[in-house]
Amino acid sequence: MIEVKGLYKDFGTLHVLSGVSLTVNNGEVVSIIGPSGGGKSTLLRSINLLETPTYGEIWVDGKLITPPDPYLHFDVIRSSRTYAAMLAAGKQDMEAIQEIKEKDLLKEKDLFHTKEGSEYRRLMKEITKHDFMDTNIVRQRIGMVFQHFNLFPHKTVMENMIYAPMTVKKVPKEKAVAKAKELLDSVGMLEKQDVYPGTLSGGQKQRVAIARTLAMEPEVVLFDEPTSALDPEMVKEVLDVIKRLATTGITMVLVTHEMGFAREVSDRICFLDGGKLIEDAPPEVFFASPKSERAQAFLNKVL
Amino acid sequence: MQLDFSILIKYIPMFGSALLVTLKVTFCSLALALVLSIPLSLCKISKVKFLQGFAAFYTSIFRGVPMLVQVFMMYFGIPLVTGLKFTAFSAGTIVFAMNSAAYISESMRGGINAIDRGQYEAAMALGVPYTPMMKDIILPQAIKSVLPSLVNEFIGLLKNTTLIASIGLVDLLRTGQLIQAATYRAFEPFFAIAVFYYLLVMILSYCGKLLERKVNKSDRG
Repeated sequence: MIEVKGLYKDFGTLHVLSGVSLTVNNGEVVSIIGPSGGGKSTLLRSINLLETPTYGEIWVDGKLITPPDPYLHFDVIRSSRTYAAMLAAGKQDMEAIQEIKEKDLLKEKDLFHTKEGSEYRRLMKEITKHDFMDTNIVRQRIGMVFQHFNLFPHKTVMENMIYAPMTVKKVPKEKAVAKAKELLDSVGMLEKQDVYPGTLSGGQKQRVAIARTLAMEPEVVLFDEPTSALDPEMVKEVLDVIKRLATTGITMVLVTHEMGFAREVSDRICFLDGGKLIEDAPPEVFFASPKSERAQAFLNKVL
Repeated sequence: MQLDFSILIKYIPMFGSALLVTLKVTFCSLALALVLSIPLSLCKISKVKFLQGFAAFYTSIFRGVPMLVQVFMMYFGIPLVTGLKFTAFSAGTIVFAMNSAAYISESMRGGINAIDRGQYEAAMALGVPYTPMMKDIILPQAIKSVLPSLVNEFIGLLKNTTLIASIGLVDLLRTGQLIQAATYRAFEPFFAIAVFYYLLVMILSYCGKLLERKVNKSDRG
């Protein structure tokens, strides 16, 4: 379903992600855990294109959703002028590719547009043309729940629920309202449908936000620390909603600090630290006997 | 000198129609200014350098040239060059609107920038394209936050419409001048006009407060 290939993300000189590759299959529940600043949220936000990767690609159902990364396609590198010049200078094929990748020779702005040659540009365009999925389509299929809920404060709960289905999917109002009522009922928020988000508690807001995401009928839901901004007594009501959702067979990727919860609902645990995917294992395996020292140290601290 | 406000009585119909003219100029200018200010503020937050530059240039022109000069340009100058003819009403209204648009767009930009990133992200994550996102999610919240400065702008606009008297439109101020010329009395008519403007501004401020309270209802609790 989701395939992350060699993802790098730099914010200026800060390397947040350094080569993360990850596959999430249909119906899987994957939890991403790890110390703060390890790149968990950035990875999650990249899947929903709220961040554009510096290098690397993300594929959804065999379609590319990020801009193509020439370094992941050797045929593209080989069609570049930089490569041709290196071969002419006596370098071997892989040697040249390696050097181009390491020195980032294709993405230097002046080279990219002017010097890399028509074949290179044709191949890049080809990738985009055949395999590209429109960003707004991606986002309709991959929903996201935020740490700070991000409900629209000037719209009532019901308006929050039906806005995107009506605007984006052109669902008729009666249908959108019916669906919204069903979803609000399932998260126990039906009686609050006419109030503004400002009057709700954190836990209630997050439950509405989850229902709002589900109103778009996404195939995947990404949860970005959904309980981190909540008062302790409200964490459970939100986790219960997510737990129930996990049993419906929807694909989920969670960034969370709730270890017990991650252990309970996940099919896989991905441990991310220093921008790298250190471990990727089923929860029984990961929590019982983490392979890496860093994961052991982390678990010792949080458990 | 004896004050005698009774001389104003026979001019009451004139005050009435002048009041209407002033209000008409103000409201038309404001409506046009609001319409102009939205694309202008979007230009200002745009990533496209050309649009940014255009909006900055536009604002600097209307900030940098005295409004009376702009009114004269529009009414006397531009028709000579282009052959376009403006009535005093339309020349004044256009100048006032373009001025207010420059100022409103500036505070609107502030309002848009003050919107939490999370609002954009939530809309984007739901697959909402740029135009409906701005129209339905960002601008309504931005306008709400700039409402106090919008009311101020409205009040400033109302007072600035007195400039239109200088190109001959019979608004409140011009009426005062006409009465002065007819009666040789200056204090009474101008005092009456001052009272008119003062009351109008008070009413506007009050309406602004009501409006603010109404749109803030979603924040209660």
